[in-house]
Formats: sequence, structure tokens, C-alpha cells
Amino acid sequence: MAEKAVKNTVKEKPTRSGRTKSYEKRQNRLGYAFMAPWIAGFMLFTLFPFGATIVLSFCNVSTNVTGYNISFAGLENYYTAFFRNTEFVPALGSFLGMVIPYTFVILVVSFVMAYLLNKIQLGKGLMRTIYFLPVIIMSGPVMSQILDKADETVQAAQGLYNGYEGVLILNMIRSYSPRIAIFMEGIFDQLTMILWFTGIPIVLFVSGLQRINISLYEAAKIDMANEWQILWKITIPMIKPTALVAVIFTIAQLGTYDTSAIYSLIKTATNNTNGGFGFAATYSWIYCIVVLIVIGLAVLLFRDRPPKRRDIW
Amino acid sequence: MKGIKSKEISGKKSFRKHDLKWWRNKIARCAVYFVLICVGFVYLEPIFEIIAKTFMSTEDIIDPSVNWVPKSLSLNNLKVASTVMKAGPTLRNTILWSGGMALAQTLVSAMTGYAFSRYDFKFKGFWFVMIILAFIIPTPVTMIPRLMMFVTVQEATALQLIGTAIPQVSMAVLGQGVYSTVLILIFYTAFNMIPRVLDEAAQIDGASSLKIFWFIVVKMSATTILVVFLFSFVWNWNETYITGTLLRGNIELLPSKLNMFNSEFSSLVSAQGGAFRLNKAYKMAATLISISPLLLLYVFVQKQFIQGIENTGITGE
Repeated sequence: MAEKAVKNTVKEKPTRSGRTKSYEKRQNRLGYAFMAPWIAGFMLFTLFPFGATIVLSFCNVSTNVTGYNISFAGLENYYTAFFRNTEFVPALGSFLGMVIPYTFVILVVSFVMAYLLNKIQLGKGLMRTIYFLPVIIMSGPVMSQILDKADETVQAAQGLYNGYEGVLILNMIRSYSPRIAIFMEGIFDQLTMILWFTGIPIVLFVSGLQRINISLYEAAKIDMANEWQILWKITIPMIKPTALVAVIFTIAQLGTYDTSAIYSLIKTATNNTNGGFGFAATYSWIYCIVVLIVIGLAVLLFRDRPPKRRDIW
Repeated sequence: MKGIKSKEISGKKSFRKHDLKWWRNKIARCAVYFVLICVGFVYLEPIFEIIAKTFMSTEDIIDPSVNWVPKSLSLNNLKVASTVMKAGPTLRNTILWSGGMALAQTLVSAMTGYAFSRYDFKFKGFWFVMIILAFIIPTPVTMIPRLMMFVTVQEATALQLIGTAIPQVSMAVLGQGVYSTVLILIFYTAFNMIPRVLDEAAQIDGASSLKIFWFIVVKMSATTILVVFLFSFVWNWNETYITGTLLRGNIELLPSKLNMFNSEFSSLVSAQGGAFRLNKAYKMAATLISISPLLLLYVFVQKQFIQGIENTGITGE
């Protein structure tokens, strides 16, 4: 309020244009003064490297005594990545096969959990604490230690490994389409890991749900809407912006989940001093495009259409 | 509405109806708790497994009838794991490392958040998008040129950079550390909640903007600073990709030690001529060592952690 009032008074005095200008100038100067370290860092460590990666992806980079020897190679690296290297395309496929279903499952599970959490009073804080815990301890090495299946060979000998053989529903799905069954088994296998990514989305959803105006629900109830209708017509449309934030968080987190095959390919290429940097740049640039496309799709899917929102208010 | 009407008509009927509704509510609530607790168990299962396996003796590990509760508590696994990881110095290194990085990140994100919250500078919207973009761009994309930059500078100035803390510290100081964007957003929301009237009052009294930043905004947001520091601490602790590329294990940190645990274990054991075999218990003990400081931290400040993330959600919208 106060800030708005100040702005108005400044803008309402066009006669003192010199003064307004100096105010704006000062805002500009001070703003940039406080932003300076971040902007410098962004230019130096993010924007420049980002551009450089694009350039490098078209180049051959070899190391010599004095430094790097960079020569233009055209689409050579891309050709190699897609057609000569037998590992890259499957790795990319498995990354996509991980990100899209994972994001979907994470989003649905965390929304359901948040919705349920919002319904209870007793123990709400405790449950939220449990769900958020993985965010604190999750890191690449910890994940790979937990997921380490080395000692599962013992269980495989005992016939325990495929635990889904006896599950009726999965067997039914399998007889219909084995691919879907394998996909679902994959999700169940990784369920704990998938759940570990829901920590941040759950917290976001819970606070998003709490910020929905209660009078909306009351109005719907007066109009005889039942719980299910309220969920679909009020809660979900209102939670959409939160869902977008949650999706972006999730994809960014899954992207830094550095046990994925793409990461190890990039790492190997980076460690290969004899011309590896060019390939690494190509790989990571393609990977980046894929991630940005996935995020872009999510934005398209979850973006809030402004006129509709106006209608509600 | 209906309830009141029927109550007025006949007391007995309304009592029964109320009763039914009450029961339905109770059952629904029990179902909700059941689901929440079951899922909660799935969350905690790996942690339970880590703790259980850590304290199992070798016999218990082999014994298929022992699954969760060890027959006898043994600290042997912890001892072995801590010798392999050199737990004492590594722990100290990791705390210093994460703490230092967190300090740098907190300062620069506070400044950036302050600029966004208080000043109307040109291209503000553009820079805001850039801040989000810095979060979305995957790390490997920028990593190769960064590495090449540091190597080039190192060769030009004959100053050892790769394998020291300098590259990552400079990145953290310039606001390009781990998840800097989230930290900036937390500060941005928190600063927006501090009334601007205070700034104006200070301004009238002749305070410079740096003074306002320090004596009003920073001093009033002690909790936020703690939250940001802790998040940064935790994320720097857990970060292994950038650290692995730029530091290359020259400073021994817990997560990278955990990453190399399998190979280090076998090399140490073969050097001593021992007859240990690497089993899940040792690995789980090593994992426990590397996460226990974070778990301990979480026990004390879990509320602040959760509130911090809630605040970013508000900004994101």
C-alpha cells in the first residue's frame, strides 16, 4: 500500500519532471548496484558458457601443451552423436522415458498427498516433516548406494527377484500388453525413489491449497456441488499455477539426478582429453534442448489463461 | 440446512442422521490417516534400511530370517566405514566447505533479492526471466566451457585453480552456486513482506541504501537468512557433479568419498591383507555417516526448511 502511494505521488507530479527523472535514475543505479555481482556471475559463468557450448558443439576440441585447439567441424559431432555412437540415442531415450512418467507420477502423487494432508489436523506437521525429509538427504551417491542392486543376486537365486509375478492385475495387464506391464513394474520398482522427489511439490501444493479462498468452496457447496465436483471445478483450476512451479522444480531436480545415463556419457566425454570436449558439448547441448522442450511442454500444459482467472474473481 | 430443519421437526431422526454423518467422517478420516501413514512408511523405508543394516553383524546380514531388527547390535560396520572414509577429517572438510559456500551464496542472493524487491530498475522483467533460466538450464551444458575457462586461466597465470576451492567459491560469490535461483526467490518473497514504510523512514533520516539494506532489511529477516543458509548448506553438501569436475577429490568430502566407497574399501582391505568382503552393511554404514549430519540438522530446523520452500512457491506464482 505504502509503496503504491509513493509511486502515485511521484507519477502524479508531472510538473516536477526533473525530480521524477532523478528518482528513476537512482532506482536504476541502486538496483543495478545490488544486482551487479549476480549479473557479472551470470554473464561469466552461465550465459557465456551457454553460448560457448553451442559453438563448441560444432567444433573439434583437442588439448595440447599450450591450451585448447579448437577447429570447426560442422555437423560432424551431431552426426556422430546420433548415428555413430550407439550409446547416446538409447541414453536420451531412457532419459525421456524417465522424466516424463516420473514427472507425471510425482505430480499426481504429490497432489493427492497434499490434498489428503489438507484434510487432517492432527499430525499434519509431522507427516509433512516426513515427506520433506528426502529433500535434505538426497544426493547422487546416496541414491546410488540405496539403489545398488548388487546383493539382489542372492534374492534372484531364491526366486524373489521378480515380485510381481503373482500380482493378478499386473498379470492381466501383461497378457494385454507386456510393454505397459514392464512400464508399471518399473514405476513400482522405483516407487521409493519417485516418492523421494515429491518432497518439494507436496510442500508447494499444501501451501497452494491453503491459499485457496474458502468462500469459493462455500459458494460451491451452496450450489449443491459435491466433493468430487469441487475438486475438479475449483481446487484443480486454482492449483494450476502451483502445479507449474512444482513441475519446474521436479524437472530441474530430475535433471540433476546425476546417476542417469546421459550424465555418465557426458562425464566420460569430458574426461576424454583427446577431442572429447566437442562431443561432450554436443551431448549436453542436445540434452539441454530436450530438457527445455519438456519444461516448455509443461508450461504450455499448466499455464494459467488470464481471462478465465478474471472470471473467477 | 437440512439438519436444522429436521431437528426442528423431530429430534430423534436428526440425532440418528447426525450420528451417521459423524461415523462417515470418522471412517473417512481413518482412511486418510491410513493412506498417509502407509506412504510415509514408503518414504522412510530406505532410511530404516540404512539404519538397520548399519547395526547388523555379518551373521545377521547373511541370515535370511533377519530383515529389519538385528539380533545383536554391532558397531563394527560403522568403525570399518569410518576408517575407509577417514570420517573425522572428511566430516570437518565437508562442514567447512558447505558452510563457506553457503555463506557466499546467502550474501549474494540476499543482495539480488533486495534489488528485485526494492528497486525499479530497467529490464527488471528480463533479469527476472534470466534468474529463472539460470535454474532451468541443466548444469552439464555450462560445465564444459566453465572447465575450459578455468583451465585457460590456470595456464595463463600459472595459478593452480582446478582441484582447489577457487572456481566454486568464485561461482558462489557471483551468485551461480547450487540452486541460487531458489535462494534468491526465498529472499525476494521475504523482503517483500517487510513494510517499505521502514525504508522510507530511514531514508528521510538520511540513511544510505546500503545502510537500509543492512540495518533494516537484513536485521529484520534473521529467520530467512537462516533458512537460505541452511538450504544452501544442504545443497552444497549433496552436490557432486560440479564438485567432481572442478575439485576432483583434492579436498576430501563426504559425498564424493561415498561415491568412491566401493573401490576405496577394496583397495584398503587388500592393502591390509584382510579378509573382509564388501557387503551391504558397510555401504549402508558409509551412507549413514554421510547423511547423519544432515538428519541431525533437519531434526532441529525442519519447520524453517519447509517454510522456506513454501515462500518460493508464492513467488513462483
